[in-house]
Amino acid sequence: MCLEQQQARRSTLAATALMLAISASTALAREPLYGALDHADLLRCEDLFWHGHAAEARSCYHLLETASTPITIRAEASWALGDLQGANSLFQEAVKAEPKNALLRVRWGELYLQTYQYNEAETLFDEALAIDGKNPWAKIGSAEALSKGGGDSATINKLMTDVVENDFTPAGVRYRGLLMLLHNALGKDQFEQADKVIKDARAAAESGKLPQLELYALEAANAFMTFKPYQAYIDQALHEDPAYGDAWAIPGRFAMMTRRYRESGAFYEKAVLVQPDHWQAHLELGQNYMRLNQISAGVDHIHTSFDGDKFNPTTINLMRMLEVFLNQTEAFSFPNPPEGPFPKLSLRLNKSESSVLKDYVRELAEAGMATYQKRYRFTPTEPVVIEVYPNHEDFVVRSVGMPGVGLLGVTFGYLLAMDSPTAHARSESYHWGTTLWHELAHVYTVEASSHLVPRWYTEGISVFEEWRTGPIPGRKIPLDVYKAMAEGKFLPVEKLDDGFMRPTYENQVIVSYMQGGLVIDFINSEFGFDKIVDMLELFGKGVKLKDAVQQSLGISVDVFDKQFKQYIDIEYGKLLKNLPGWQADRKTAFAALEKEDWQGAVDAAKRAVFAFPDYVEADSAYIALARGYSRLNDKDNEFRTLETFWQKGGYASRALLALGNDYIERNDTEHAFKVFKDVVWADPFSQELHSKLGDLYMTHKEAAKALREYLVLLSLNPPDQADANYKVATAYQAMNDKDKTMQYVMTALDVAPQYRPAQSLLLELSRSTTAKQ
Amino acid sequence: MKLSLILRRSALHLVAALAVVPALSQAALYISIVQGLGGQPLYDEQFVDARKIIEAASNTITDADKVFSFSGERATRAALLKHFTELGKKMATGDRAAIYLIGHGSFDGETYKFNIPGPDLTAQDLKSILEHLPGRNHFLVNTSSTSGAMLETLVGKGDKASNPAFVVISATRNGNERNATQFGRYFAEALRNKDADLNKNNNISIQEAFDYAEKQVSTHFQDESKLSTEHAQLRGDGATLFNLARLNASEQKAELASASGKLVELLKKRKDLEAQIEDLQVRRSQLNNADYLARFQQLILQSAEVSEQIEAAQKANGPIKPMIEADPALPKPPGGTRVP
Repeated sequence: MCLEQQQARRSTLAATALMLAISASTALAREPLYGALDHADLLRCEDLFWHGHAAEARSCYHLLETASTPITIRAEASWALGDLQGANSLFQEAVKAEPKNALLRVRWGELYLQTYQYNEAETLFDEALAIDGKNPWAKIGSAEALSKGGGDSATINKLMTDVVENDFTPAGVRYRGLLMLLHNALGKDQFEQADKVIKDARAAAESGKLPQLELYALEAANAFMTFKPYQAYIDQALHEDPAYGDAWAIPGRFAMMTRRYRESGAFYEKAVLVQPDHWQAHLELGQNYMRLNQISAGVDHIHTSFDGDKFNPTTINLMRMLEVFLNQTEAFSFPNPPEGPFPKLSLRLNKSESSVLKDYVRELAEAGMATYQKRYRFTPTEPVVIEVYPNHEDFVVRSVGMPGVGLLGVTFGYLLAMDSPTAHARSESYHWGTTLWHELAHVYTVEASSHLVPRWYTEGISVFEEWRTGPIPGRKIPLDVYKAMAEGKFLPVEKLDDGFMRPTYENQVIVSYMQGGLVIDFINSEFGFDKIVDMLELFGKGVKLKDAVQQSLGISVDVFDKQFKQYIDIEYGKLLKNLPGWQADRKTAFAALEKEDWQGAVDAAKRAVFAFPDYVEADSAYIALARGYSRLNDKDNEFRTLETFWQKGGYASRALLALGNDYIERNDTEHAFKVFKDVVWADPFSQELHSKLGDLYMTHKEAAKALREYLVLLSLNPPDQADANYKVATAYQAMNDKDKTMQYVMTALDVAPQYRPAQSLLLELSRSTTAKQ
Repeated sequence: MKLSLILRRSALHLVAALAVVPALSQAALYISIVQGLGGQPLYDEQFVDARKIIEAASNTITDADKVFSFSGERATRAALLKHFTELGKKMATGDRAAIYLIGHGSFDGETYKFNIPGPDLTAQDLKSILEHLPGRNHFLVNTSSTSGAMLETLVGKGDKASNPAFVVISATRNGNERNATQFGRYFAEALRNKDADLNKNNNISIQEAFDYAEKQVSTHFQDESKLSTEHAQLRGDGATLFNLARLNASEQKAELASASGKLVELLKKRKDLEAQIEDLQVRRSQLNNADYLARFQQLILQSAEVSEQIEAAQKANGPIKPMIEADPALPKPPGGTRVP
């Protein structure tokens, strides 16, 4: 969850959200009263409703819409009939008439909860508690409003404890509290705790003769998640109410949260079948279809959900995103036509930037797919689909339904979505190539394990692959993680998923990513790469982590943790001791640059580089050192510094462009090529990059590749249109395409009639045509 | 399709520009450069550098006696107002004036002021100066902080407002952009940088200098990982045809001085062809696409052939020695290291 709240600053982290633990957006249909009210006529209607007699229930509620019915009950009837505005007005009137009635405010708050207005709901529950500080309904409502609105967990826990662990709490409200605890336990994979809560809840339901629909549905979810038969529980819920869509939707939601999208979809399909007006289920089914690359089915269900419930912010966000997705996306498939039953790779790119990105995304994706297929012994059985979004919020809404989340990429199985380089300011040093590489690894690890791999394990592999096989190899570990390492904040592997899903300190998600990568690196170093894949396959068979470690590595998880700690001490012990000194030198170097003390900057940066030569982020000492040398006019040392920076995996694009130019000056085109190609994975929208790369290809007589670069340059609308068009013309000329050459050279000359190179090319074309005639 | 679109856009641009800039080539150009107070050695140095570059560039595009430079104690309000009054008397209706203001500015919410020794120049002063110059097609660039605040006085309210009589550039969008600006040094640098010469005609127009400086400012803030604190504005028509500097002026002068009769004839022929091409581009909208392309191609080919002959003749004459060597005292280009 923290990942969704935290802006991942580092491109190399390629923060992802495989696990969509979005409990805050669980279904908000009207719930049974559980004894909150005791009006006999209303209860009769409720009884009909919760036993699947919808038509009779409606007639019953309509009978309550008379002036002789208490206003509170009329509000409840309007609510049940779907007239939420009418219910709201009636509650308002009722509160005005009975300002000291706490329960009235509680019920009004529940109405706000259903319409996703958590702050307003919380205010009403607070007002109820101000009237009656012990009111358990207000406490449970408040806990739910805070939980859905992202409130403080300590406050929520206190409210829950007050209700659930109080012997004097009425059975109905305690039961509702237990159901909330059960949702929570299942969301955290705490299955033993879930079993205990189920027992308590059952006892409470039976003693209070309360509806057990939701409890059965939760038991089904519990059984599904623990690989036990679950159908009987669903049947029991449906026996009680044949139109109870949540009997399927609740297990569906937990299947979705554990990334089992196919199973989740099957649950939701049945949910909307038994309850066609379950708008939340339509929404989640729609999102699920979208994740499974069944776009039109997804769009249909999202539209159905919106038509039925126009209050849901997730649906509204998705509708807005779909506008962009459906109208501005350009799709490409490779190979085209497919060599088998389906293309291997599909790209969905925004039309505004597909001309720049298409070839590079394809090149990197195909390289990654070949790498991962071999390494993870898995051949995709569907096309891998990559969606790239220039608008970060569109990407986030596509991924989790709500904006304002700091993700960079998300993988749903065969489909991955990610931020385009243009979704970030260039100064943010977002490395899109690494993000793609990271996400693509998930496709293989998730699918190879039938979506059963633990979160930390798949993230660890993705981080490990970034370091080992990615576009910028080498461990990239942010400073915060070293600090956490020094403070002994790494978790035992059995608890490592908590670091992703239930972080307890700032940046713990990032620390967990890095620990995951290091753990996989440790397995690779100490036990061999095959063991990593063996464990993945064991997870696919449903083997739990503890047993997978034992079976695959021959040691217990405790011994594994001890050995990993020793490994970290050996790898980083010395560095961690030197960390404060290194940081001080690095800061001194940049401060000296500010003061134009070039030699001081060089001296401090050299010390920092010596202490920690592998740190190559944009604020690394290499950058300060190169700047210092540049100012001292020491070109040779500037070049060597940049070269080392690059060789260690540095990717700051301006630095690499400078290095590439140095290589060209030194006639080392082989290295210049490599450096410029690396810039493609970091900053593909750099005009200088494509101009230089195109020139290099032309020098190497690879006109088709040069043309690609020059056309990309042209699509970036460079200020020097004459030169860009001329370059395209020269590439076409080298490919013997006279018409195209003429077209582009004339365009160049129209912009700049006196542009001599273009004039010469035109003359050459004209003379060769005349000679042939 | 791509070709015709690009041609159309380009031609329309020229039409719009030429409509308000008649017979530019015959007009005399008077350039006034004002260096304001730096306040700190760092800014003093920057402003001196910019002034020197602009002075040198101005001498490539007009006669030395038409370039006036004011700095230090000479740059007072009284002296400047006197200078512009006299200039107004000297200039003919078809002449043009270019005014550079290099320095700091201030804006108190009502009045923009360009900071010079003694009383400052106000936006109203600048308006009066421009309005009292004879004719039209004048240019003023103000590189100071808050310079955007003068725009309302000079050209009126709104982002699209302009005055048909002159082109105005401010380094900032409005009076709220108060930080010392980067725009001025890049604008000055554009006047001698061939990268700014986007139409490859060896002249730097107002538009080219503006585009170059605007891009460099954007890169500057990007490299510093900072939000841009200035957003330059250009108002008025004709910026593409108003040249501020010639890049190879000394070579051209030397070439003409030492040219043989044949070479002089070729150079004249090329100039005529260039004028015909420009004329054709202006009339683009009156022709159908095929006609235009055929005529354009014919003229370009002729121009290319003549250029080729010129180069052959030049080669035969040996390398041209510039009449004026590049001034070694001129400041180096702005910007620091290549690595951000």
